[in-house]
Amino acid sequence: MSLPPASGTGRFFAKAAKSIRLIRQGCTNRPFFHISVTQRRRLNSQPVIEQLGSYDPMPNINNEKLVALNLERIKYWLGKGAHVSPPVAEILGLSGFFPIHPRTYMTAWRNRRTERENLAKQLEAEKSKEAAA
Amino acid sequence: MTLLFSKIAQNNIKTVITRNNDLQILTISYRKLSIVPSLYDGKEDPAPKFFSSNVQVLLKRLTRPDFNKVFRKRTNSGLAVLRTPKYKFLTNEELEAEILKANKKADVLLQMPPVVKVHQPVDDVLSKDPALVGYDSAKYLFTDITFGIANERRLIVERDPDGTLRHCGHDVRKRLNQTYFPIPGRKIKEPMMFTNEDRFNSLLDRQEYEFLLDRACLQYEPDEASYQRITSITYQHIDMNKSYDLLRSTRHFGPMTFYLTWHQSMDSLMLELLQSGAVREGVLLAALRQALLGDVANGDNAQALAQQILPTPIQLAKPERLTEEDIQLDNKCVECIEEYIVSNSAMKSQQELALQGFREHYQQLIELSRGLKKAHGNA
Amino acid sequence: MCSKLLSMRSLIQPTNAILRQVLICQNKTTPNLKTFTTSPVTCVNFFNKLPAEKLWKSVTSVSNAGAKKGRGKGAGRIRIRDLNRGQVIGVGKINMLWPGLSAPVIRGRELLKQQRLPDDPDRMEKIIQLRDSMTKFRRIRLSPIERGWSGSRMPGRSIGAPDPIGEDVFTGFDTKVLQLRSLLIMKGSLGRTRNYQAMVVTGNGQGLAGFGLGRAKEAPAALRKAKNRAGQKLMHFEIYNGHTIFHDFYTAFGKTKIFVQKKNEGYGLKCHRAIKEICQAIGIKDLRAKMEGSNNLQHIVKAFFIGLLQQRSHQQLAEEKKLHLVEYRAENEYFPKVVASPSEVRTKEEIPKDETLDFTQYVMNDKVILKKKKFPPFYESMPHYKLHLKKYEKYRNHEKIRLNLKSEYGEVKSFLTDKYPEEKVETET
Repeated sequence: MSLPPASGTGRFFAKAAKSIRLIRQGCTNRPFFHISVTQRRRLNSQPVIEQLGSYDPMPNINNEKLVALNLERIKYWLGKGAHVSPPVAEILGLSGFFPIHPRTYMTAWRNRRTERENLAKQLEAEKSKEAAA
Repeated sequence: MTLLFSKIAQNNIKTVITRNNDLQILTISYRKLSIVPSLYDGKEDPAPKFFSSNVQVLLKRLTRPDFNKVFRKRTNSGLAVLRTPKYKFLTNEELEAEILKANKKADVLLQMPPVVKVHQPVDDVLSKDPALVGYDSAKYLFTDITFGIANERRLIVERDPDGTLRHCGHDVRKRLNQTYFPIPGRKIKEPMMFTNEDRFNSLLDRQEYEFLLDRACLQYEPDEASYQRITSITYQHIDMNKSYDLLRSTRHFGPMTFYLTWHQSMDSLMLELLQSGAVREGVLLAALRQALLGDVANGDNAQALAQQILPTPIQLAKPERLTEEDIQLDNKCVECIEEYIVSNSAMKSQQELALQGFREHYQQLIELSRGLKKAHGNA
Repeated sequence: MCSKLLSMRSLIQPTNAILRQVLICQNKTTPNLKTFTTSPVTCVNFFNKLPAEKLWKSVTSVSNAGAKKGRGKGAGRIRIRDLNRGQVIGVGKINMLWPGLSAPVIRGRELLKQQRLPDDPDRMEKIIQLRDSMTKFRRIRLSPIERGWSGSRMPGRSIGAPDPIGEDVFTGFDTKVLQLRSLLIMKGSLGRTRNYQAMVVTGNGQGLAGFGLGRAKEAPAALRKAKNRAGQKLMHFEIYNGHTIFHDFYTAFGKTKIFVQKKNEGYGLKCHRAIKEICQAIGIKDLRAKMEGSNNLQHIVKAFFIGLLQQRSHQQLAEEKKLHLVEYRAENEYFPKVVASPSEVRTKEEIPKDETLDFTQYVMNDKVILKKKKFPPFYESMPHYKLHLKKYEKYRNHEKIRLNLKSEYGEVKSFLTDKYPEEKVETET
């Protein structure tokens, strides 16, 4: 192994604030995230304390997004008072581990609204076409 | 009964094939008709019977383990080049200890793949949240990768686009387990040899049964429908060709015998045992049937006889000399099998013929060994 | 150098010129005596004043200082050529038929007449080619099968079966040269004389083999002597399972030490080339041998033969130790297979404490092979190697993925390729 393992080699202070967040791995045009715990004031490019899971935002061939969570370690770090970043909180909410994050509801509502609007626009366009014809 | 019918049908169709030129369609239908896969999906669960120590012992004995075959040279032992053999000087006691160790290793090598009922589909909704509709068009699959949890008990849930949170089905669970905790040799996509019918049939025709069953054990879980489908077809193919010897001394002989007995089609196996002169194993087979189905006439007698047979050494070849105890035991076995043939057998005439042949051969053997004993004296 | 060569080529012409002159003289003198003069004709020039020997010396000689510097050796060296080779009396530049000289006087019933035949344009070229072939050093080309250890040199080459003795023919035997060298011997009357010494091994590949040493004044004679002597000294060796030796052993001759190891099928012969030839002659296929100390070839051969002869069969070993000899093979899941049992077995109490029970140690006579420490390659400690590892870390699984995609779709594509066809068009353009 030439690169340090992503599963965590970062040094940390016991009493410093920790944060569970998504850390982008992958490469250009191919996002892939590690769910990791780091010190809160540390850059995402620096070694993390521990990797707690992974999240693949690109749907696979079966139209599924895969999330892996090490629930035992997540519980441990939450018990230590780690802060959870909103995207991770959303994922944990969807998994049923947390209550659903408000932002998830907002996104769902906005998506429904835009869909509705698009549908309405389409209908209008069809009507105007018919009228023109 | 379905099996019997299918065999008759197969013969008929073979004659049809010779007349018709349209071979391909017919051969496919012939294959479909000849072997009908049958799963353990009835009301009764085979697992408790299979795992009961009584049946396990019978199945292991019926495997007739020959150490030359159990420890044969394997190409799949994971070595790129052959290693240099190692030598040791051993005293008698050490040698016995080593042989005991080897016996234990043989037990591991001969451990039978479990026979269980097909699993039930999972339908376990955890929560429904209609407010989440429209959040994403893709499913979310969540896997708990906590260290030290068995694959079967791992928490794997999915969030559907309509906001339902539910436990995943068996297929998805298997896929995700293989993604995060890969079993070496198992493929996420099913191998062609199982999905492609032509390739599967060509393997069967080449009698690569052990390879097929080994690979199936690796690729599937024992409670999967596809595993049971593949193994049942293979077992029936073996039964049709009477090539039981290919599976002897391997871990698959037990499940095959169990399968044949469970479906009451072990008569050609019985015939093979009688023809090869293994009457003791014939009694064991009858006892197995009694243990599984309980429909053998005078079955308790067979089971009691089986308890007498089990302590005797395994007969890998036909015996050349007989002691008086052997003769007594074998005579009892012959009587027991006679009863079985009369009451339960579906191939009565053939089996009786084979038994008669055995009796004649055995009579000669008795005379020979008694004469020898007389000549040598009692010493 | 070029000029020298040119001058040599011009050597040919004067002789012809002289001939022609003589001819002309004859032609001229007979009809007209008026032109006859008594003054001597000077037919003497640089080329016919000196003997050929001296002429050649002037071309080929190297000055004393030059010789010290190593001139006149190797590829550019000029060699003396025999210019008379390829020349036939009566055949010249002008193709004449001289009855009685270059042709018979009577052919059939016809009396041949002196006449001019059509010129042969290639004659000169052929002669030059012949002369060139004399000077140029040509290596004998052998087919790869016939070659020895080093090209056309004798060591490693096959010289066939030993000569039959009476009616006994060595069928199936083949002889390999192991060594052919010249020895210089001082003799009172002759001074320093050269002798050739050859060492060969002969065998039939089925357990019979022997080696021989031969000395003679000439190399072929030495080889023949050695070969025939080897045929007289055949030894028989048991081969374990038809492919290897019975057990590891240590053997030595003089300062040469050889550690030989038994190997499994398919390992091959990894040893000194002489040992390899011996093994092939005997029929051993798998073995490893490590040498320590002197690598004198004759000692190697002798030591290896001694070692082979001193092997003990499994039964002998078991009898010596009075213990069961058990074999474990990885491909058989380390099943303990008893290969030899003694007539009576010792119990654990009967074995002394300090007895060597380890099989390898016992058969190796308590000798241990020196295993040199393996150092990592020099580049692994360099900074560029670490950079390289970092750079290629992200490509580590690409080949595998490409292979999987090819096996699944027939080309490098995924389910996303169909979803985004515009990407494909871009890459193509």
